[in-house]
Amino acid sequence: MALSGIQIYKMLPQTNCKECGFPTCLAFAMKLAAKQVELSACPYVTEANKAQLAESSAPPIRLVTLTGAAGEVKAGNEVCLFRHEKTFYNKPGLFIRVKSAAGVAEADSYKVNYVGMDFSVDGFAVEADSPAAMTETVKAVRGATKRPLILLSKNPDILAAGLAALPGEKPLLCGADASNWEKVAELAKTAGAPLAVSADTIDSLADLTEKIKAKGVEDLVLDPQATHLGKSLALGTQIRRLALKNNRAVGFPLIAFPCNAADELIAASQAISKYAGFVVLSEFKPELLYALLVLRENIYTDPQKPIQVQPGIYEINSPRPESPVLITTNFSITYFAVANEVEGSGLPAWLVVTDAEGMSVLTAWAAGKFDAERIAKAIKTFNVADKVSKKRVVLPGHVAVLSGELEAELPDWEIRVGPREAVDLPAFMKTALN
Amino acid sequence: MPIEIPKDKWNGKVRTINLGATAAEGGTRAKVITVGGETSMPYLHFEAPTPNTPLIAVEIKSRKPTDWSPLLAEAWGEAMNNPAAWAKAAEAAGAEMLILWLTLEDTPADAVSAVKAVLAASGLPLAVFGPGQAEKDNDLMVAVAEAAKGERLLLGICEDKNYRTIVATAMANGHLVNARTPMDVNLAKQLNILITDMGLPADRIIMDPTVGALGYGIEYGYSVMERLRLAALQGDSMTQFPMLVTVGFEAWKAKESKVGEGVPASWGKWEARAINWEITTATALIESGASIVVLRHPESVKRVKAAISELMTA
Amino acid sequence: MTFDLVFMNHTITFTLDEKQTTVNVPTGTLLSDAAHLAGIEIGQPCGGQGRCGRCAVQVLSGNVRRRSTLRLSPEALEQGFALACQSIVEGDAAIHVPQQEKIERNLTTDRVAAEVQVPDGYAFEWSQPIRRATVHLNPPTMDDQTDDWSRLQTALRTQHQLENTTASLALLRRLGEILRASEWQISVIYSNIGSYEAPLFQILDIRQLEDLDDPVYAAAIDIGTTTVSLWLVDLISGQVKAQVAEYNSQIARGEDVISRIIYTGKSGGSADLQQRVVETINRLTEAACKRAKTRPENVIKAIIAGNSTMIHLLLGIPAASIRLSPFITAVNHPPILASREIGFNFCPDAIIDCLPGVASYVGADITAGVLSSGLDTAEDITLFIDVGTNGEIVFGNRDWLVTCACSAGPAFEGAGVVDGMRATTGAIEEVWINGETFEPSLRVIGGKKAKGICGSGLISLIAEMFLTGLLDKAGNVNLTLPTNRVRAGDHGGEYVVAWGAETETGRDVVITRVDVDNLLRAKAAIYAGFSMLAEQVGMTLEDVQQMYIGGSFGKYINVEKAVQIGLLPDLAWDKFKFLGNTAIKGAYLALLDTQQRERVDDIARRMTYIELSADNSFYEAFTSALFLPHTDLFRFPSVEAAILSKVESQRSDS
Repeated sequence: MALSGIQIYKMLPQTNCKECGFPTCLAFAMKLAAKQVELSACPYVTEANKAQLAESSAPPIRLVTLTGAAGEVKAGNEVCLFRHEKTFYNKPGLFIRVKSAAGVAEADSYKVNYVGMDFSVDGFAVEADSPAAMTETVKAVRGATKRPLILLSKNPDILAAGLAALPGEKPLLCGADASNWEKVAELAKTAGAPLAVSADTIDSLADLTEKIKAKGVEDLVLDPQATHLGKSLALGTQIRRLALKNNRAVGFPLIAFPCNAADELIAASQAISKYAGFVVLSEFKPELLYALLVLRENIYTDPQKPIQVQPGIYEINSPRPESPVLITTNFSITYFAVANEVEGSGLPAWLVVTDAEGMSVLTAWAAGKFDAERIAKAIKTFNVADKVSKKRVVLPGHVAVLSGELEAELPDWEIRVGPREAVDLPAFMKTALN
Repeated sequence: MPIEIPKDKWNGKVRTINLGATAAEGGTRAKVITVGGETSMPYLHFEAPTPNTPLIAVEIKSRKPTDWSPLLAEAWGEAMNNPAAWAKAAEAAGAEMLILWLTLEDTPADAVSAVKAVLAASGLPLAVFGPGQAEKDNDLMVAVAEAAKGERLLLGICEDKNYRTIVATAMANGHLVNARTPMDVNLAKQLNILITDMGLPADRIIMDPTVGALGYGIEYGYSVMERLRLAALQGDSMTQFPMLVTVGFEAWKAKESKVGEGVPASWGKWEARAINWEITTATALIESGASIVVLRHPESVKRVKAAISELMTA
Repeated sequence: MTFDLVFMNHTITFTLDEKQTTVNVPTGTLLSDAAHLAGIEIGQPCGGQGRCGRCAVQVLSGNVRRRSTLRLSPEALEQGFALACQSIVEGDAAIHVPQQEKIERNLTTDRVAAEVQVPDGYAFEWSQPIRRATVHLNPPTMDDQTDDWSRLQTALRTQHQLENTTASLALLRRLGEILRASEWQISVIYSNIGSYEAPLFQILDIRQLEDLDDPVYAAAIDIGTTTVSLWLVDLISGQVKAQVAEYNSQIARGEDVISRIIYTGKSGGSADLQQRVVETINRLTEAACKRAKTRPENVIKAIIAGNSTMIHLLLGIPAASIRLSPFITAVNHPPILASREIGFNFCPDAIIDCLPGVASYVGADITAGVLSSGLDTAEDITLFIDVGTNGEIVFGNRDWLVTCACSAGPAFEGAGVVDGMRATTGAIEEVWINGETFEPSLRVIGGKKAKGICGSGLISLIAEMFLTGLLDKAGNVNLTLPTNRVRAGDHGGEYVVAWGAETETGRDVVITRVDVDNLLRAKAAIYAGFSMLAEQVGMTLEDVQQMYIGGSFGKYINVEKAVQIGLLPDLAWDKFKFLGNTAIKGAYLALLDTQQRERVDDIARRMTYIELSADNSFYEAFTSALFLPHTDLFRFPSVEAAILSKVESQRSDS
């Protein structure tokens, strides 16, 4: 059970010694409660309290790591059912299922850029129907990619062959079921590799994981073998809920196989938003992969961060070169207030949104994130001069004080001070800007 | 030992809302369609049944749009020239509801004739949305509401700025309102309070939390919707309204869908990508609680419908 | 009004000014109507809606049915009070109509801050570190050529057992003159600047011989962004001899801390601001000393509270980092300084002790406020707010303390509102609006013609407009109501509070949509601060057991109205306590008691500062509070009841 900041504080020395790097024990306790700091930073907590605090902060879902010839993919350590409650931490790995090395190199080198970030495939799931085929395919695939692998087979010998071809790596063995679990668990234990466990009910999954854990394998992944979207949603939700309630038998990441689904895109997007840690796709298709990579990035964005609008120049009501240029910050509420007023008025305008680190006009001005220099930089970066015929910008009335400095920064522009409130913008645009 | 599956017991319930009125109720719709009524998070059948299937609505315009993706123009062809023909084509493509979106060029008379044409062409429940400028919306929607009195149309866009006029005309003419707020749980709730404070019965409100498309802020809408549903289940009566999401409008604005040239090769094939964009946005939002999902492409309608039928299966 | 005799079945006797009047009325008559029949006019500024409480009367015998008692405290109810406009005759009754000022006292809460009292057990020689010694020196002679300073040191050692003494160059420079002018009979003011075990006594001042009960003056000072306050204290008796306050003359260089910090970046800016505040304090000292019939150079010590920016500006320490992320001060706890280093007109060696702050936006004014409020020793979970241009909030009790600052903006100080003004003569300080006619009744400070609306007037105005339906819950002015006081203006819908004919300027005093938005934002920022602090420690505002309100604002605010607009949490009225200027009171207590002074250091160390802008949840709390009274009405049950009772009384009327 997670403890609140005050509950943790009561177990700390309460001396405010500052040695942990925080000004007070309570500040440290609140950081601990938010899992943003390690308890070890406190040199003075008693052993008894240390044990109790460690218990309460153990992650309910085990962190499982696959390592390849280079790179790794992590899943687990999640702490909530809905992303708004905290955030989702470890983005599910997207793996392409392959039976040969054909196309692997192409998929491996795939790179797509989304708002400044490069995304790629996370690894490959290798399938083979004999030990020899597995050895051969794994070697060939390894020649084309260094990314982590999943070995797909229920046959312990085939898995062993794959493992043998990947010395020093920790691929995911996929995996164990009711019939083969003893041998496969032995393999996983020897290789120190994570193991996926499949069964079609939660009871039998839990039964298997308990048995396998008893054999000394801790890094497990669950494959609940859902057959359609309704089922996969229910199972994913049930397992996540049980795990969050500290049911250690199912406190593991999930693996999903949209490659077997009727509509792969839809199944994969459900897996990404509803609890999968590893997602296996049938083939390399950029038009599908790109959508999934973006969805994953979106769903795994930290919702606690202020909602920001992308800085840039926004067109409102199809502006023309002579339309006015308005300036505001990239705090979403500020942006919406301004954009909605102008949009609602039907008056065309160019809205320049500056990067004020997600703060409103006054806050950003106070914190030095919305000053003449930054505004001038935005005007230049977004090439506003190329879009307009009249070099005139309208400053928010709250920062009228910046007009002098802005004139110095933008000598060939006319600086106008607009109203303080967005609601007064349409009237200002109608009367003062003609 | 069998594991006991934890089930949430909620007190709250999303309101059941009827869209459209048949002749018996004073309208001309072929049938009444019901949305809402959920007592659990979306599609958790082990917890509570999902009483009503989410609706797929197709967006049509009063005039042929000039700024839509060529892929959509190709898909709908000639039907786009005429709202009645478009309505028929949409119904044939699997639409369960129609959204007629009016434009800034429409006069109140144009709007009324477009609405009448669509009502005559299809028996599906109908939503009519103004172009989104408060004053213009007021002019058009009052005329439409009066001309279609008794049809239980869903009128939009009802925002904090103009809610009084649209709510008043919905009350006077027996329609519903689509209460739209910009991606915020509190704002959504506040508008619902303002609307019910005016006296519009709560079974005539659909809320539209505004969503972003995949890659363009989908996560905000996604979480706002999950939170609104949770609040509804917890008993907060001002969040217990079914939700409508304008997925087609948002997804087809995205560069990924709209254009096929001058984009990175890593985006993949244009048509497949564009439809994927709309479908991914739609299914993510259906799973976070949407009851009415408004789409644009017929292929999306087909695939999203199939997904809904899987989701409705326990 | 006429009644058929057949139904006149109840006798009501009214007593006003010891005069009795009797009327007969039927069941169901409102007491206010019965009073009218008896020729007694009871003021009903709210139009008889049971909202203003001005018509409270005392039922001496008999029974009336009270439809609403919202404005009455439990004590008042106990004493038989009822609202005449909300109470219905059901039998014979005797009613006492109190005079207006008596009613006032029954209303809500005491709005005046407590008088200053010398702490119990205060003793000059025991409680605080300043001492005064009478020293008799033998004048030097040709035989005794000991230097002046050694002579003094020796006398202090032999006559007062002060082994180890020191003095500043400034003191040495004037030593000879004082000794000779006082003919070697002197009073020495000193203080131990060493430890208890190894004392080192600093001589602060040497004076002509004083009597034992002659005052020793010190000052408690609070430097506010807007107002500087100074109390002149006699350390011998512990009494406050003069209380003075005036505007901080830095205002000419910017109204808020941010503008002033920016001003320090200009050439000579820092020196200018430093000089301005020192001059303000020197002027205040002059004024206070004049009143106490003494001179500034007799002031031997000052304890200074103030927000972190004000302290930086006073000391001429660069304040730029306060404004910029991650918002760090140069110093939270300045060392002890001497008056001459700063330029005060006190005794040159007077001890200047600036109290410790916690963070950039939670300064020494707040640690001093916590001290004087007693929050750090309270058993009950307490919420403390000091409202000024910023609202600083402290939450906790003797076990833990968390604090945050929220930028409310100057709306509650009357700024940023079209017809806003400070709480001075001509300011509308209270408003009642008739729910049927939408006509307002105003109370204007000084009883003159209205000039504008001050903070408390704005709070009461918004609350009234909300309860009468002039504003919807989002703060939109309802332009469809049948009154010419609502109209479309340049800033959206507006309401005319006073027509030009009734105002001093001849112009209409109005409140506009933009004003309402400003006020809603200010109140939402404060309420969001409350919720966030509670949330950070895993509590809700329902866990609050008492609420302290400090700052000059605290003196005038009407709790009920502040709750109705959602500025203050909806707690029982007896949980609110008004403390006035807690900062200067804290400085005063620290001046009089070494232990209290140490307690402020402890408070500063214990307070955990929470930066609200760090994540999204503040904006969530803010937007949910950006509604009247709040998006979650269940957080405001008394307001919910007020709205319901209004709806019901409208139903029963129609």
